[in-house]
Amino acid sequence: MTIQIRKGKRATEPQCLGSQRSLNSEDLLFPNQTGDSKAAVYFQLSNGRFRPPPAHRLIAHHIVDTIAPIFFRVSRTMWLPLRLTLLLLFLLLSPRALLRSGSAAVVSGEEEEFHEELLLKPLPDRKVLAHFHFHSIAPPSKSNGRHHHLFPKAISQLVQKFRVKEMELSFTQGRWNYERWGGFDPISSNNAKPPGVELWAVFDVPEDQVDAYWKNLTNSLSGLFCASINFLESSTMYSAPKWSFRITPGRLRYGTLPREAVCTENLTPWLKLLPCRDKAGLAALLDRPSIYKGFYHSQRLYLTSNASVPAETVSGISLEQTLTVVLQPNSPSSSSIHSGESNFQPSWSLSSIFGRKISGKCVLAQSSIVYLQLEKSIFSEQKDNMDNGPNSLASEGFAGGSGFEMSLDPDIVIEEENQSQHKGSSVLYGFWVEKYNESQPFDLGLKWKYPVFWSSRQAPLHASRFLMGSGNERGAIAILFKSANSADSSSGSRHVSDGCELQVDVFQVVPWYIKVYYHSLQIFVDDEAKPIGDFVHKIQVSPSKDKTSPGMMEMLLKLPCDVRSAALTLEFDKGFLHIDEYPPDANQGYDIPSAVISFPSFHSVMHLLSNDSIRKSPLLSRFQEKNRVQSYTEVLLVPLTTPDFSMPYNVITITCTVFALFFGSLLNVLRRRVGEEERYLKAGKKKGWLRVLLSRLLAKLRGKPMEEPDQPSSESAPLIGKKLVLKVILVAVLAVAWQFYST
Amino acid sequence: MAEIAESPSTTEHPLGTVGASRSKASSSALRESDVDPKTMRTTTPGLKRLFLTFSVLLSFLLGFPFLWKTVEIYRSPLPFGDMDALSKQIESSPLQFPCHFQSVFLNFDSRSSGGILDPRELRSSILSEMTKLTSQTLERQCGSCGENFTLSVVVDSDGNGLTPNCSYKCGALGALNLGDGEAVDEALRSALDESCSDYGGKLYTVVVVNGDGAGEGPKALVGKHRHGWISGRELDAEAMIGRMAEMFVKIFMNGGREDGAIHGEFMPVGADGRVVLSFSLLNANPDDWFYDWDFQKLDDTLLNPVIEALKPIANISVESQVLYHTPKSSFSYWDESLGSYIFSTKDLPFFVNSNEWHLDTSVAAGGRTKILQFVVYVPSANECPLSLQLPSGEISKTNGFISPMWGGVMVWNPQSCIKYSGSGPPARLLMHPDDLHRIFEVLMGQLRQLFGLKSDSIYVGAAGAYKLLPSEKGFTEWELDVLSRQHTCFNLHSSGTTLGSLSRLVQSLPRMIIKDEIGKQVKFSLEAAQLAQTNASVGLYEASAASSRQARSLAEDAFFHPSIMSVSYFSFEHCFAVYSPFFLPVSLHVLLAALREWRRYKQEKAKYVRWKVKQVKAA
Repeated sequence: MTIQIRKGKRATEPQCLGSQRSLNSEDLLFPNQTGDSKAAVYFQLSNGRFRPPPAHRLIAHHIVDTIAPIFFRVSRTMWLPLRLTLLLLFLLLSPRALLRSGSAAVVSGEEEEFHEELLLKPLPDRKVLAHFHFHSIAPPSKSNGRHHHLFPKAISQLVQKFRVKEMELSFTQGRWNYERWGGFDPISSNNAKPPGVELWAVFDVPEDQVDAYWKNLTNSLSGLFCASINFLESSTMYSAPKWSFRITPGRLRYGTLPREAVCTENLTPWLKLLPCRDKAGLAALLDRPSIYKGFYHSQRLYLTSNASVPAETVSGISLEQTLTVVLQPNSPSSSSIHSGESNFQPSWSLSSIFGRKISGKCVLAQSSIVYLQLEKSIFSEQKDNMDNGPNSLASEGFAGGSGFEMSLDPDIVIEEENQSQHKGSSVLYGFWVEKYNESQPFDLGLKWKYPVFWSSRQAPLHASRFLMGSGNERGAIAILFKSANSADSSSGSRHVSDGCELQVDVFQVVPWYIKVYYHSLQIFVDDEAKPIGDFVHKIQVSPSKDKTSPGMMEMLLKLPCDVRSAALTLEFDKGFLHIDEYPPDANQGYDIPSAVISFPSFHSVMHLLSNDSIRKSPLLSRFQEKNRVQSYTEVLLVPLTTPDFSMPYNVITITCTVFALFFGSLLNVLRRRVGEEERYLKAGKKKGWLRVLLSRLLAKLRGKPMEEPDQPSSESAPLIGKKLVLKVILVAVLAVAWQFYST
Repeated sequence: MAEIAESPSTTEHPLGTVGASRSKASSSALRESDVDPKTMRTTTPGLKRLFLTFSVLLSFLLGFPFLWKTVEIYRSPLPFGDMDALSKQIESSPLQFPCHFQSVFLNFDSRSSGGILDPRELRSSILSEMTKLTSQTLERQCGSCGENFTLSVVVDSDGNGLTPNCSYKCGALGALNLGDGEAVDEALRSALDESCSDYGGKLYTVVVVNGDGAGEGPKALVGKHRHGWISGRELDAEAMIGRMAEMFVKIFMNGGREDGAIHGEFMPVGADGRVVLSFSLLNANPDDWFYDWDFQKLDDTLLNPVIEALKPIANISVESQVLYHTPKSSFSYWDESLGSYIFSTKDLPFFVNSNEWHLDTSVAAGGRTKILQFVVYVPSANECPLSLQLPSGEISKTNGFISPMWGGVMVWNPQSCIKYSGSGPPARLLMHPDDLHRIFEVLMGQLRQLFGLKSDSIYVGAAGAYKLLPSEKGFTEWELDVLSRQHTCFNLHSSGTTLGSLSRLVQSLPRMIIKDEIGKQVKFSLEAAQLAQTNASVGLYEASAASSRQARSLAEDAFFHPSIMSVSYFSFEHCFAVYSPFFLPVSLHVLLAALREWRRYKQEKAKYVRWKVKQVKAA
């Protein structure tokens, strides 16, 4: 049982602000975080409208989770209100605890946990990112896979049965816009996924059994999520990347289905894994029409089981379910006020984006927090706009200076600490959802007062991929890297030194019917063809085998830091499929799955001031993990020659007809009396009487009565000729008419 | 070329005769005016072309069976006769197990019943009662003994009676303290357990103890093992015969089931002999309160013995989960007099809310494993306490119901239905072990009912009531015997019908591919079924249950073989459509050619014959 106590004091209180310069470990001492000298705490009591403090002033708002271990030595001005709050809380706490112990024992010990969090972030192109993060933890116990309280039983059984060590499954619709929505932050590195389904899993089984386990896993997941993941079962659909995709080597299998359509039938089973489903808590926001209306929608499931524990106890599982949506808020109110100003960021609220409000947290969740993430550059820009001195900002910036207004007061303000660089860091405002209930629903709104501009932080290189060539026979794949820093000279200059190298990992899987010639790899750096050896540091290729395995290419490039653009090209031939292998909509073309581009020397980490509340938040601790910056390229659509699917019968008919003709004529030739006919002809030419006989024979064969010997021979021949000509003409006319009218 | 060179011999005749008539008129025996080229010819007609066309036709005809052979799809030969015979045999005569009964009369001396009891007389009278009872049961129950039983009677008067067989030693039950049922049960067990293995230990005994029991009337009990006893003061042996027969037939033979209980064919065991018991605790509205349970402990302490006991019948695994926000889908109303919210038996079909209760099929279970759902429903605050009203107007004591082959539902009301009104969310409450124990008892009763057994411990027959001692394992030995008999019988029945329908299906679709694997499965299934039948007739319950399970599983495997399921086998029309473009024109050519050549040959032959006749005449 944890009770979160909110101790707040309005940040604008003069003493507090005045003492801020000197506010350090001397004034506030938390025994459990003594080392953190940067932690400063604001206390907020009144429910006034909160305005964000200027960036350089604001360090952190802090929430204390438990009462007992905390020892305060605060300045005298703050002690009184604090003591009152504490007393009140104790009073509130004690009858409640008594009441519970009366009815039944309160659950204690190591339990399954569930956390729910939501991150909202306005994007530079007037859109809003909503990132739901649900975290379920099953601690190691021997009843895992059999008895569960909060953790989804199905997932646990899946992990036990298929010996999954790590697995990630994502369903995505739309493409993450790396240029506008950012390519460096943890969300884009972890949650931007290729369109369709992507699944990878690491198994804890001997290498020779991995494929069998993978096949069973795909079938199970397919049933669990109502998706055609079972198509990944075929060995032509998955591959085993060695080092470029994940750093964790070994029994990894990776497969994607770029064509998979993602919709509610995939979301419903995903929600079923949450203890509250979409009945309560943050997931209640998930109004299907509004989330599927968005520009990007990615639902993801990531689980790890710690296999390091001894064999007799079943391993614990951590399940992370995230849903990332990019939505376009439409707020007519703001546009009416500032009509004509199109560069205004749209104001929005939860109810205007989702059409719903949050009426309290999911009671089963250990924590239920909504974060609002804003780029710090907004504040600096706004400072320029205000054109005020730094001293006046201290007080004035809050009153009327900020370019936006939140409808609710945040309970915690966390600032990203970025020593190296001012750009790209951000501020997080946290809201505790448990304070809100049915009668007072949580509906966070953000209103912009001034037009603001900012850009998201980009990955060092922006990767795109396209096809070259035409026709149905051959083509080429090109991957183009463009420096994201080219526009931004300040950060680009950072790397301009001779020995500087930019590492790029490329992982690409190509289906077998695209026969890539890996020897034709060419590299163009800054539009100049360069020898491969100069830049390709490491390359591993497993060529495709027809109808057995896809082609896979792993490559580690080392490019100079001041590179403006780099391009890789690979030529390929298009293969032919068997008639059974064509998909139902064969004319649409075939997808080449996204290539994965990662930058091993860059890590998307949010340096947050570590304190208790952040450590307890799975979302923020996830953000603080060191992950490679990773991006996915576009899916390519390759048109292949598609046959006419009624072809087999046509072929059968034509072949059979030809055979029949041949056979018939052969038979005719065999039983023809050629000598006889020739002699007739010769006789007809040389001797008149033979001709008579011939005509007689002909007549006899035709079964007509005998005619005059001379007449038929002289008349019948031209007559037949005329008739024949007429017939031929008639047929030709008919054919022409048919051709003309039918087309 | 050869044809042209030889052609004169056959085709020249009309011409040749004319030519000959002109050129060789003098040499010829006949005059040219006699030879009419239209009607006669002087040479024999050639056979070359006729032979050629006919050989082609013949080769076509000969080749046809070969083509047919290549077009033919592979069908593994199935023993249709055996399959049909098995299904017919099982349909017509259900399996009957031999049952062995023994009745022991204790302390019946001459004084009490007017003369020494004659075991033979007793035996015949009990037998006649039993046959009367077995014939009474109209529908023959699957897995019962039918008329296939033996009975032995022992009269033990003061430890010096007859000992007809080795199973009961006179005097073994010297003094029984009839007060404590459990103690008597154990004592009887130790006395009877050293029985010889003639019947594989499956001997059902009823002991009638005449002595100083309780005052009022005879008392009948059925123990946890394979015996029961009747005790009382001044018992009349003749009167006991009826009760004894009833005990044998109704309880030991038929498992004490009543009419209206679940029919034995609905044995909730998967085709692979596995059962998953899935326990779910449903919190209708966790905002009011939500409970959790320590199911692991329950599993370890209480469920495990049951699973162990049921091992011969099914391989059982257990799993549990707690679900939230799972309202029921039927309505309930407040009843002032009963002081609770009421849902009646009419609402039961709508109680289970399949939209919100995601009681998932288990991933751990295989494809044909039976999953039994046991649901404990914790109502929300606005429907608490929730009670089930029986049609009689009473409140159900168990507050639960079962759905055959699906599982059971039980409503558990929290002790106080006062909604938690404090600030903040409610905390997780753990169910008290006593509550859990009570819930478990109800769920075990439901499990017994799903298996077709009685859930309470009293059986009321025509001759009187019998108290059934409950076993701590959930199932007593004689109940397990009944279950395994039924299970065997049901499995055999199922495999028989499956094989029968497979045989009908395969015979009705002549173009269906039958793989060798299916043939093998059918063969093994038939063998296993045979084995089960022979084992059953000998009385080996476990062995026959195992092989019957195998027979069923193999039969299902054969029936649901993926190659049968696929619809991609081609019909005969398809075959016709593929081959007719070739064979139709070619056969036309070949046939016409043969026909024409034959006609021509006949014609020419006639001409020749005419000429010959004329020549002969002329000569």
